[in-house]
Amino acid sequence: MCQLCSVQNKAILFFLFIPLVATSQIKAIKDTLQRQGDSVVVTATRSERKLSNLTVPVTIINAKTIQQTGSLRLTDILKEQPGLTMTSGFGAGVQLQGLNPDYTIILINGEPLVGRTAGVLDLNRIALGNVKKIEIVKGPSSSLYGSEAMAGVVNIITDQNTQIPIQVSARYGTYKTKDISLDNAIHNKSLFYQGFYNYYTTDGYSIRPNSSSRVTTPITRYTTNQQIKYNINTNTNVSLGVRYTNEQIQNDISVSNGGVTIHSNGTENIHDYNVTASLNHRFSNALKTSFRSYLTQYDSKQDLLTLSGSPYVDLLNHLFQRVENQTDWTVRKNINAIFGAGSVMEGVKSSRYDSEQLRKTNAIQYAFTQWEWLPSKKMTFIAGARFDENATFASAFSPKLSMLYKINAVHKLKWSIGQGFKAPDFRQLYLDFTNAAAGGYSVFGSAQAQKVITQLNALGQVGVLYDNFYQLKTLQPEYSTGIHLTWDMEPNASTFLSFQLFRNDIKNLIEVQQVGAYTSGAQIFSYLNIGRAFTTGGEFEFKKQISSQFSLNGGYQLVITGDKDQIAQIKAGTVYTRDASGNSRRLTMSDYVGLPNNSKHKAQLKLNYNHENGIFANLRFLYRSKWAVNNTNGNQVFDNGDSFANGYVSIHSSFGKNFNNGWGLQLGCDNISNYIDASNLPNLPGRTFFITMKYQLNHKK
Amino acid sequence: MLTFIKKITLVTIVSVSMIACTKNESSVVAPLTANVVKDLAADTVLGIASNGMPYSAGKYTFYSLENNAIVPNTDSASTKWDIAFVSTKILINGGTSGTGMGGAFVYTGLFDDLKTISADSVFKTDNAPASYAITYGSGKGWYTYDQATSLVTPLAGRVLVIRTASGKYAKIEIINYYKGGVTLPVTASDADKLSKQRYYTFRYIFQPNGTKTF
Repeated sequence: MCQLCSVQNKAILFFLFIPLVATSQIKAIKDTLQRQGDSVVVTATRSERKLSNLTVPVTIINAKTIQQTGSLRLTDILKEQPGLTMTSGFGAGVQLQGLNPDYTIILINGEPLVGRTAGVLDLNRIALGNVKKIEIVKGPSSSLYGSEAMAGVVNIITDQNTQIPIQVSARYGTYKTKDISLDNAIHNKSLFYQGFYNYYTTDGYSIRPNSSSRVTTPITRYTTNQQIKYNINTNTNVSLGVRYTNEQIQNDISVSNGGVTIHSNGTENIHDYNVTASLNHRFSNALKTSFRSYLTQYDSKQDLLTLSGSPYVDLLNHLFQRVENQTDWTVRKNINAIFGAGSVMEGVKSSRYDSEQLRKTNAIQYAFTQWEWLPSKKMTFIAGARFDENATFASAFSPKLSMLYKINAVHKLKWSIGQGFKAPDFRQLYLDFTNAAAGGYSVFGSAQAQKVITQLNALGQVGVLYDNFYQLKTLQPEYSTGIHLTWDMEPNASTFLSFQLFRNDIKNLIEVQQVGAYTSGAQIFSYLNIGRAFTTGGEFEFKKQISSQFSLNGGYQLVITGDKDQIAQIKAGTVYTRDASGNSRRLTMSDYVGLPNNSKHKAQLKLNYNHENGIFANLRFLYRSKWAVNNTNGNQVFDNGDSFANGYVSIHSSFGKNFNNGWGLQLGCDNISNYIDASNLPNLPGRTFFITMKYQLNHKK
Repeated sequence: MLTFIKKITLVTIVSVSMIACTKNESSVVAPLTANVVKDLAADTVLGIASNGMPYSAGKYTFYSLENNAIVPNTDSASTKWDIAFVSTKILINGGTSGTGMGGAFVYTGLFDDLKTISADSVFKTDNAPASYAITYGSGKGWYTYDQATSLVTPLAGRVLVIRTASGKYAKIEIINYYKGGVTLPVTASDADKLSKQRYYTFRYIFQPNGTKTF
């Protein structure tokens, strides 16, 4: 054991030492940042635009960054991005500018992923093996993407133009984590084919002392992605993509309730597939159109057996089909327009609804348009809007207006204002769940709450109905109005700075509320559009090419959040807390901390080394300040008297070499300082190491 | 007129003092001060049974607010006690719980701000097992129970307004539910969370003169 310690410590020293050694060898070479402004972005406007011409803030993570940080799953790389925070509970979700994972849409090549549990899409589901880049758009983007694009958009773009015929990589790491990937591609004038296969397995880990149950359970995942694209002629192409993931999770769960611990074990089996077919045609240089058809299904089955022998089965099946057309038209030299329309058929089956056989369905029809106008070389205006009409809840309209003003070669200003929305999800509409284990309380989705509760009442099972029961009605989408201001600066070729300010005002938040009680006293809950909240703050980002080999980048974000109704209550003096002696006193605004699970401060600092000879190394520091986790004092408001998770810094490093003959070797260490918080950061294991070998068969013509 | 009022006031003060004198050896009317009761055990957990459930003696702790003292269980059928505790459940001597005139309700606000019980206040009485004067259950009455942490926290800004067994009035603020008057940290062991709970710390003011003013 002690030997292992010393080996680990030496390894740490080694990691920390590398940049220092390397620094002394720098030669003064003209140093410029990679021309990231020239990168093409598709997510922000649904059309190819240079990053430097965008009117909204976009972060691009390229394949090189993904590879050099040793990221395997989407979670690994998103956690290092400015303004993004990973959440735990129902898998690893992403919080963007203080808004919960529910409000960020996750796309693969522009098509949405489904299969959320309690609003969270587990980003560990997504392998990064054949990803070309990830684009993150901050701010409401529903004007282009509809529901869920309220806080922003994460779009994963797979490599569809690789020149490498075969690529293999294998990685082994702590907790018996194995990851094997194979890419193969065929590329000629008219045909492109790419196949990607990934096998990932981990033993999971237990970071709680003296506990048999693992924080992360043993998981095995298979992913394959097949893409084929055929150019019929220079103006027309068709493409087909299939992605399939199978995930097997071994559960060993201990639930403690009032000192009684129930152990159960079993498996969770998830099948997730996406099929995309598209036909693209260019009529002229000014007009092109694209028909896309998309089908995805997420199917999860959890079988648990408690030690007392009682089985528990939890099923979720989400099917989503969409057909869409988008037409891009260059109206004039300086005016571009996009028109789009589509239709969605969606359905969910769940053991938590009234019948697990019966699929709850919804149909959405939508249309959107976007107009881009460049009145001068310095200015770009973009206006867009989308209308979503559907069968089960109120329709939604999402407009957006944005502008870019290039003051000069150094300074650029952007602003945008838009409305985003999130439709009520199936759970909020159809949940029919009674928790027999915890007092027999029930939660009913709003679409059937009135009917079901009225029936129960007729049977004499309902003891009391509150006023808000009579206010239950068709749920409205949740709305957010977002304003973003960005000031980008490139004082010289090796320096980039960006300052951003943002504010999101959210209304119609769907919250669970008690609407009545059974005669037994057990509570009855349903969903109502009641909440109002805001998130606001600022971001600072910088990139600096120090020398031809060294670059430094980082950022700082301030996020302030609040529940507007709670703030009104605090100001009215009707919220209480306790003073040091235990006596009650009124809560003041200085005690208020805002929404839970939100850190006020975040910062990142990354030092990168890249040499022409293929050697690379990096050292990354990630900081997150404390966040409220539990309303321990029971006043329903998160304040200084509640329990917090401690702020922390995690340190990551990796280095390696890509050889000219196609071989590559990489070593890495994550969480070097071994920071552990089992209760609040179950997704952060202690210090882990990995080694990766890869081979590329270089394409030679 | 003014002198008349002064006289009346004087007479009132004197008579109140005299009443006070008869009951209390002190000859001066002191403003009512709060009594603080610390670590009042309320059916504390004795151990964990073989089925994993905690067990206790299942006995109430009876308390007289008037005498600021525990009343023996043998006097449970009397009007000697005003309030009784068993884990998080509170009984008031009246209704189905006893022979007294007791009743109660939970006032939302600060202990010190409650100077007078308003005339239209409705005192509820125990009607076991359907309802209790001090509503029983997490978030409904005086406390909240967090399933994630297994901790009981008295809600801040809640005052139990009590009509005693003898028909006088008192106000109570429950401060803590754990031994020593400090809620255990979230990270405390399950064993500690069980063995150190059910110890009430509370402060109260009893108005002996029968008025609703403190």
